[in-house]
Amino acid sequence: MLRIGIVGCGKIADGHVEQIRAVGRGEVVAVCDREPLMAEQLAVRMNVPARYDDFARMLDEMRLDVVHIATPPAAHVALASMAMDAGCHAFIEKPFAPTAAEAERIVEKAHATRKRISVNYLYNYEPPGLELQELLAQGELGEVVHLDTAYGYNLAGDYGLAVMTDPQHWVHALPGKLFHNVLDHVLAKLVAHLGDEFTVQVEAFRRRPASGNAIIDAMADELRFLIRSGAVTASGIVSAHARPVAQTLKVYGTKDSVELDYAARTLVRSAQQTQPSAVGRLFPPWVQARRYKRNFWRNVGLFRRHEFHYFQCMRILLGRFYDAVEHGAPDPIPPEQILRVCRLIDRIVDEMRKTP
Amino acid sequence: MKVLVTGAAGFLGTRISERLLAAGEHDLRLHFRSAPSARIAEWSARYPAARIETIGANLLSRGSLDPLVAGVDCIIHAAAGMRGSAADMFANTVVGTRNLLEAAGEAGVRRIVLISSFAVYRTIDLPDGALHDESVPIEPVGAEKGSYAYAKTRQEQIFEEYRQRFGFEAVILRPGAIYGPGTAPFSTRVGVQVAGFFFSLGGRATLPLSYVENCADAIVEAALRAPAGGVYNVVDDDLPSCRDYLRAFRREVRPMRVVPVPYWALLAGSRLLASYHRRSKGQLPAVFPPYVVKSMYRPLRYSNEALKRLGWRQRVPTAEALALSFSHWREHAS
Repeated sequence: MLRIGIVGCGKIADGHVEQIRAVGRGEVVAVCDREPLMAEQLAVRMNVPARYDDFARMLDEMRLDVVHIATPPAAHVALASMAMDAGCHAFIEKPFAPTAAEAERIVEKAHATRKRISVNYLYNYEPPGLELQELLAQGELGEVVHLDTAYGYNLAGDYGLAVMTDPQHWVHALPGKLFHNVLDHVLAKLVAHLGDEFTVQVEAFRRRPASGNAIIDAMADELRFLIRSGAVTASGIVSAHARPVAQTLKVYGTKDSVELDYAARTLVRSAQQTQPSAVGRLFPPWVQARRYKRNFWRNVGLFRRHEFHYFQCMRILLGRFYDAVEHGAPDPIPPEQILRVCRLIDRIVDEMRKTP
Repeated sequence: MKVLVTGAAGFLGTRISERLLAAGEHDLRLHFRSAPSARIAEWSARYPAARIETIGANLLSRGSLDPLVAGVDCIIHAAAGMRGSAADMFANTVVGTRNLLEAAGEAGVRRIVLISSFAVYRTIDLPDGALHDESVPIEPVGAEKGSYAYAKTRQEQIFEEYRQRFGFEAVILRPGAIYGPGTAPFSTRVGVQVAGFFFSLGGRATLPLSYVENCADAIVEAALRAPAGGVYNVVDDDLPSCRDYLRAFRREVRPMRVVPVPYWALLAGSRLLASYHRRSKGQLPAVFPPYVVKSMYRPLRYSNEALKRLGWRQRVPTAEALALSFSHWREHAS
């Protein structure tokens, strides 16, 4: 069993402890937070045997194999570097790093220390994300022409409330503020289909009324972007107001197109008219209904096998990361894709600053 | 006496501030996190002699709270995390309290009144029909009762640690289910709404209600008159059963499709769900674990005698408080 430690005992740390235990490949032996009370609460609620408020001491005393870094991103470079220097592999919460330059330092440290790193880009491991990988590998869609993605954000939810009620929340200090904290999830779905040369166009603005607090009001809540990389384009909407809160991707291929809904855990091929005239327009809804029905029964099967947890995708990602750590398997998220996400975020943030 | 109210822009904090002014306490410092109460201009007009300061502060910002507590004689600490994740609730309740007490202790604040909760009590050992007064012990940890109970229990422990360290006069109030226009109508003690049905869980158990105006009266009474070390439950008189409350709500506010769940069925369902939660590695959350069901859904009797000995009297009778609340919820049904 891997000996695993967690640094950063905020709300996402619960998910790490639960999913590490569900995967069953490692044991959470210690947690750490510079605020001792926060380390205490996670250790008490989750029955973790050791807790620290000094990361160096945890590394020194606990002989960890893997460190999960769940702190705000400003600390990721320092903590990941310390962990790898101490002989640990590192699984890092998103955002991977505040800037691409800092992300490069983490990747370079991993190369230098021959340690494995990964990041919690979990949506590609949702059932529709995995199915998309299979379809692309089988050439079912042909070449990718365009990707269109939507990501909704609920400002009244657990995470949104924390940001909206606290002007000192670390999200407000990120260059791209709210979007900086979610773009990893948005762009991680796209980068496998893009190259390292790209152009970016952006619209970002605040749609909600002013609260009177300058820091909170400086946070935009609506983002649109268009990326072109060679012959592939990608567009996206990140919205705090559109309902229902979306988690979707449409992949337009030269042979066929598919629509993924990560929240509903469905993937269907796009409707197309195969018969002529008005009669031909009669059948697509029936065909689509049958496709959705197949998704439903697949999900029922997953549920019956206890493979339908809300964070099932994270379990699969962690399992593959631990394969890389223990058996030298390929990185579940290639470092070049992590860096591409970070560079794209830098560019989008740059463009955001230019918008009025 | 200069009184600081933390969380003064909140549902309860606003009423506490108002009652302090009505009680003749005219030197107030009102703390807010995001924005001050919208009613301050109205209070300033009604109490022209009053000195009402507002001060924004993040209680999580350790070491920056000296201006908040400087020159204060008494703190009524009503700020707490009521929503969000377990970690956020803990941070906003416990870490914030530690930071405030640290600053208050260093500044020599003489008296601190903590607004705690019924959630801290260890009621699992009480027999059905037992009297639930201040002599019931509090949970040693509280984590088994959920994240809110854990945070409030740890908050009381921190409060006691800092009382011993700095020697301030400590008073604790533990309100039951605070309600009134502006709250959600249903405590989980009554039941939960799922898929268009209301599952009635409380049955004949008494609902320990505290109307927000009466609760604020009790807090102000205790802040001004309670002896150091005083602990007070805050509940109203003439408490309805959960079933009667639900019946009145359906009659006065809106009809609902209600599924009554007897205690034995709730406990059996709770055990079943806890077992499935373990087997499925958390595929469904273990809401209402057996410990919570046994702690919260059995019939107990509630006492406010300690408060009455202090001089508190229920200003808004329960029938009137319920009528006011029902009327508000009816008008805001959408």
